[in-house]
Amino acid sequence: MTDPSSPHRPVRRISRRGLLGYAGTTGLGAAAGAGLVVAAGGDSPAPAAPASQAPGGTVSPWGPHQPGVAQHPPAVTEVVALDLLDGVDREALGRLMRVWTGDVEALTAGRGAPGDPAPWLSAPGADLTITVGVGPGALGADRFGEGPPGFAEVPSMTHDRLEDRWSGGDLCVTVAGRDGTTVAHAVRRMVADAEPFARLRWRQVGSWNGTDPEGRAQTGRNLFGQVDGSGNPRPGTDLFDDTVWIDEGRWAGATTMVLRRIRMDLDTWDELTRDEQERSVGRRLSDGAPLTGGEELDDLDLTAESQGRLVVPRDAHSRRSHPSLHGGRRIFRKGANYTREVDTPRGARVESGLLFASYQADLTDQFVPLQRSLDELDQLNEWTTAIGSAVFVVLPGFEDGSWLGESLLT
Amino acid sequence: MHTLIQRPVRVLSLSAAALLLVGGLAACGEEPGSAGETTAAATTDAASSLVIGDPWVRATAGTEDTSMTAAFMTIDNTGDEDVTLVGASSDVAGMVEIHEMLMVDGAMAMQAMDSGLVIEAGRGKVLEPGGYHVMLMDVQTELAPGDEVALTLEFSDGSTEDLTVPVKEFTEEEGHYHEPGTDEDHAHDDESDTDMDSGDMDSDEGSSDHSH
Repeated sequence: MTDPSSPHRPVRRISRRGLLGYAGTTGLGAAAGAGLVVAAGGDSPAPAAPASQAPGGTVSPWGPHQPGVAQHPPAVTEVVALDLLDGVDREALGRLMRVWTGDVEALTAGRGAPGDPAPWLSAPGADLTITVGVGPGALGADRFGEGPPGFAEVPSMTHDRLEDRWSGGDLCVTVAGRDGTTVAHAVRRMVADAEPFARLRWRQVGSWNGTDPEGRAQTGRNLFGQVDGSGNPRPGTDLFDDTVWIDEGRWAGATTMVLRRIRMDLDTWDELTRDEQERSVGRRLSDGAPLTGGEELDDLDLTAESQGRLVVPRDAHSRRSHPSLHGGRRIFRKGANYTREVDTPRGARVESGLLFASYQADLTDQFVPLQRSLDELDQLNEWTTAIGSAVFVVLPGFEDGSWLGESLLT
Repeated sequence: MHTLIQRPVRVLSLSAAALLLVGGLAACGEEPGSAGETTAAATTDAASSLVIGDPWVRATAGTEDTSMTAAFMTIDNTGDEDVTLVGASSDVAGMVEIHEMLMVDGAMAMQAMDSGLVIEAGRGKVLEPGGYHVMLMDVQTELAPGDEVALTLEFSDGSTEDLTVPVKEFTEEEGHYHEPGTDEDHAHDDESDTDMDSGDMDSDEGSSDHSH
């Protein structure tokens, strides 16, 4: 080794917060990508293909909210739940949150986590976010204290077929990014560093295509083929903030998350005619627009009739979950499609479904009425079954120099 | 006794990757963010221009010699003047030194930096396994993953920076730089390690003395 010293690092001239934001999925990433192409191709005799835009961005972990919640869904999402070991108290939770904070800061910036045995699996521009939540078991006097108003388990629904395998958990880590390798590495570091405090309970992995062929953000589709999430409040709007963030009290800056694992029966769904499929939701399959006309993001006209019947049927999913039926209550939903091989006596079979994450300030006031309404009546119940359910409070965001959950644990 | 040989190769790989990254990003005028600016303790003078990132201490629990370990971190100097890390102290260690790794008779060995580690103005240093490190000796308490260690860095102008550093397991086999007695053995018995710049030594070295 000729020079054991480290590579010199440039000085920070602008704060990273100024450079990088969750919306920065093109600017910095594109510039960095172009720089790499120039640097690598300097002596190349053959002109390289036109420098394609580096597709990824680097998301600052700091701010009033954890950024993964509002982040446009990248390709890969892994969610893990952990159970706290007996005897893990408030002080120990503080140590876990501090070690996780260091991991989140390093991994999302594209560095290995401190002590990382495989730091090369981290790279900037991975659109990586790591979002930490705490479940009912992490609350209470010697842990995170009392939960936020309305935070409770989801009452059992008649259509539920919940399995322990996919339900519950004291802690939740959601890692999302543009490639599965980086995401898997980050999950592994987070779980490994939690080892003195908690054990893995379940892991769920899904994918989403939130980018159209021209590289623009799109809503994305579930495995039924439906454009899924058109009715969401848009991040950056007052409606989003009011829907999602807890705005006062000791949990200010937090939100609540319900993760439902929804099995989808694609075989029987595929037997429907296109008209039946569209009427089950009330939206066109081609572009997600309401059957009552307009474009994807236009609202449905729930009163519209055609030839004497409602265009959006009374048991259509989008009607049953429409905010106008629930006093304006809404949620912010994010999906990730999963497939999973299941062994059967006749060989392997593929189970398909959706990891459905619902974010809302008040779980009992916002999520539960919508879910009850859908449980009572929703055409989609014929082809969908919730087989997992878990609830978490997504911790408030943290600033540079602070740590996850600091104000709640100190 | 544990192998000593893989670690220098790892360090080279890491350096190469980091250099490539810095070069690529620098080419477009952006900076990739120096190491994590996680810790901002109340400080004055030299320490106030330093940004300490990604600190960790290697666990001693389960290791052969629990009396010594090391702390690693990044130190970036955002100021206009060079700063020297001259020492450190911790309530878990009877003695703390700033160490570097040097090639001695063809093998890496660690050595105390009597004049300290200079962090040049506008530059940074990475303290990492196989390279610079803050050596904690005469450690009386077993340090387990999940613990935290208080560490105070001391700089050439007398300023200090207090850190709370997480203890992490390091899964790689124990390196010789944690055990000064072993590197001397290797330095004398194993002359095949001389070319530490070779990038293709992984397989040769990986198989050379895995005796356990």
